[in-house]
Amino acid sequence: MVIPLISLILLCPLAAFAVFGLMSLARRSVPRQDYLSTAAMLIALVCSLLLLQHVVPNPSPHTVEWIAIGNVSFSMGFYLDSVTAIMLIVVTLVSSLVHIFSMGYMHGDPRYPRFFAFLSLFSFSMLFLVVSDNLLGIYIGWELVGLCSYLLIGFWFEKDSAANACKKAFLTTRVGDVGMFIGMMMLFTKFDTLALYGEEGIFAQAAGLNTGDMVWLSIAGVLIFCGAIGKSAQVPLHTWLPDAMEGPTPVSALIHAATMVAAGVYLTARMFPILTETSSLAIAYIGGITALVAATIAIVRFDIKRVLAYSTISQLGYMMLGIGVGSYVAGLFHLTTHAFFKALLFLGSGSVIHAFHAMHAHNHDEHDAHEHAHAGADGHEHTHEHGDSELAHAHGSEIPPDQDMRNMGGLRHKMPITFATMLIATLSISGVPVLFSGFWSKDAILGGVLERAMEWNSVHHYLLFGIALFAAGITAFYMFRLIFMTFFGEPRNQEMHDMAHESPKVMTVPLLVLAVLSFPIVNKLWFNDAYVTPPKQPHVHAPAHAGLQSVPTRDGIARLQNTQDSKGTFSLFGVSEALADEKTAVEDGAHDTHADEGHHGHSPAHNIAMVLSIIVAGLGILLSWLFYHKRTLSAASVATTFRPLYNIFWNKYYFDEFYNGVLVALTVWKARLFAQFDGSVVDGIVNGVGRVTRDGLAAFTGAFDNRVVDGIVNRVAQVTWAIGGRIRRIQTGAIQTYLLVVLAGIVALILIFRAL
Amino acid sequence: MSLQNYLVISAILFTLGIFAVLTRRNAISILMGIELILNSCNLNFAAFSRFVTPPENIDGQIIAIFGIVLAAAEAAVFLAIILAIYREFGSIRPNEVDTLKG
Repeated sequence: MVIPLISLILLCPLAAFAVFGLMSLARRSVPRQDYLSTAAMLIALVCSLLLLQHVVPNPSPHTVEWIAIGNVSFSMGFYLDSVTAIMLIVVTLVSSLVHIFSMGYMHGDPRYPRFFAFLSLFSFSMLFLVVSDNLLGIYIGWELVGLCSYLLIGFWFEKDSAANACKKAFLTTRVGDVGMFIGMMMLFTKFDTLALYGEEGIFAQAAGLNTGDMVWLSIAGVLIFCGAIGKSAQVPLHTWLPDAMEGPTPVSALIHAATMVAAGVYLTARMFPILTETSSLAIAYIGGITALVAATIAIVRFDIKRVLAYSTISQLGYMMLGIGVGSYVAGLFHLTTHAFFKALLFLGSGSVIHAFHAMHAHNHDEHDAHEHAHAGADGHEHTHEHGDSELAHAHGSEIPPDQDMRNMGGLRHKMPITFATMLIATLSISGVPVLFSGFWSKDAILGGVLERAMEWNSVHHYLLFGIALFAAGITAFYMFRLIFMTFFGEPRNQEMHDMAHESPKVMTVPLLVLAVLSFPIVNKLWFNDAYVTPPKQPHVHAPAHAGLQSVPTRDGIARLQNTQDSKGTFSLFGVSEALADEKTAVEDGAHDTHADEGHHGHSPAHNIAMVLSIIVAGLGILLSWLFYHKRTLSAASVATTFRPLYNIFWNKYYFDEFYNGVLVALTVWKARLFAQFDGSVVDGIVNGVGRVTRDGLAAFTGAFDNRVVDGIVNRVAQVTWAIGGRIRRIQTGAIQTYLLVVLAGIVALILIFRAL
Repeated sequence: MSLQNYLVISAILFTLGIFAVLTRRNAISILMGIELILNSCNLNFAAFSRFVTPPENIDGQIIAIFGIVLAAAEAAVFLAIILAIYREFGSIRPNEVDTLKG
């Protein structure tokens, strides 16, 4: 049953795209491409849910030979383990909801059918990436999602900013992909295969490597992680993701929040068995730094989508951090929960934008006039408030008025469903305890980091824990800042506020569904952590493995049990205690020397992490409330006090400036240099060769031709001419002369015959 | 009359014909010289047929008659050519018709 189901999951979205493609070739349009694509996704969703019961702990890949070059053969195949199944559900579920939401959001767009066709193609690519059992298939899917991302960011390509953003996204991720490709080739040269599983697979062979190969394996692991840095927008290749917000908001939700950017995390998780201690630490650092940097930038953004974009980068950093410290399950769990609540946040922001945007369409001219007037007034006000408007304008960060949070406020009465659902998502991402999924997954990561730090007594990991904790507090702060600025307080822009309205049902229903998915209970339906067991990393110190037991929800449940002692709550979470115990028993057997220590070790770590994370989250929310709702503290005065810091955040750590000033300038300079080289040297050589050919060789052969060859020909002609000139006198033209000669000839002949 | 007499007369005729062909400055006269040459030929045929071959064999005489017919046809063609030359050049003097002079 596995193969037909997976095939159906892959083929449905592909068919929806193929129909569009073929019809386009025939210059016909599909009447209801939106229904077609959505139906395809819903079928894929159902198949993904059906696949859940086929998940087995140690599956074997289903492969077929694909191409053979010489004696190297590449196979294509599917691999279905718990991670695949979860990813399939996340992708198809979010994708289906985004499809439905888009029917409302994209309504009336001139390229409406194309949008859905691209969404289908994206879904196919992402699903292909997820189910592939080998690096080649993953790479194909990887590049395909990159292409779809490019197409969809630039969907409104009439806008220069969108056209530039899609190019930027494509090129930036390509930088990481080059690293990934080199990493793949390193593995290929070593193992002669790109298959991950099976006896001949990379993982099986990597497990057999001795310690001398660890440096080499670390390099390969980090290089493959480069692909994830690009795709998951980790520092330093994160700059494309905020710009990608130029695409339609459903695209931001699907691709740039929930699924594609999570592909990097997925890849890192897939490659978990070959990650060594060194490469794990590198991943953890990249993740931690990303989490902090992106969170701090998000504090000062005013564009609602940019805040969410930086928040996404930050959360992806958390996942990387989780995987980097060996909390494999926590990282994947955060991926799952984040996919839902971040998709919800984006779709919610899309609903807000749509509310303002619809007004845009209604009284366009009037609004345009107003917009200009307002932009002036706003800039002025901004100068007073932050004293940085010149920077904002100087760097061309013009925020579309319908995305600018300074135009919002008090929307909770106007858009109750959007408000309620977004509040749930915000509570989730901020890590508000117990009830919301984000708390469990984030806490699992924080606990994992602290646990690793305590086990190894490692400064690195204590530092990372500090960073992650700090970033968690900031996350709560900026997310509530968004909520307060958008939905609370007085309307800042009365005219826009008056026109705003709740979105149609086709948009609010996906919001409600995603809101339900933001509760941990629902996630437990498929995130059965008894199945999600971290693969072994034989190259990491033994105690590390004990830490891997830290299954997030089990700890949470254990704590819940301590406080409530309620079996009912426990069963709701859907974890079978027997399975959990069995797993512990197995692991204890394998690591009996460390198991006890590990078991005792992780509990306090997680408790400390949980308490600390609740404190920082509460602190963040409190500060946010004081700043943006109660207004007892003034954001402006804080900004002025910490002006250098504020400038750094406002300018996004000058990453773009650095890239433009250094890398782009360097590239342009290099291009100029090469152009000069081309103009002087290459052209010089070509011209020189030309000149030598023309003036030297051609002139010589020309002279030879003229003098010698023509000379011979002319001389022959002259001689012939001269002889002819002499001989022609015989031809007198007088008949009688000829006759006389004839007679003389005859007489001569007679005389000759007589003489004989 | 012996064969010799015929041959002498024929030779005289032939010589006269040649002389006329080579020296006359009029195409008609040249034609007349050619006729003389032809007839000297015919005379030779007839004479040899009468004196050398058996009397019942008259091949020579027959060829002589053919020769006369031939001479008549030749005269007709020659005169036609002369007429054409006259039309073209306005003269029938052979030394003036020298377009093929090299």
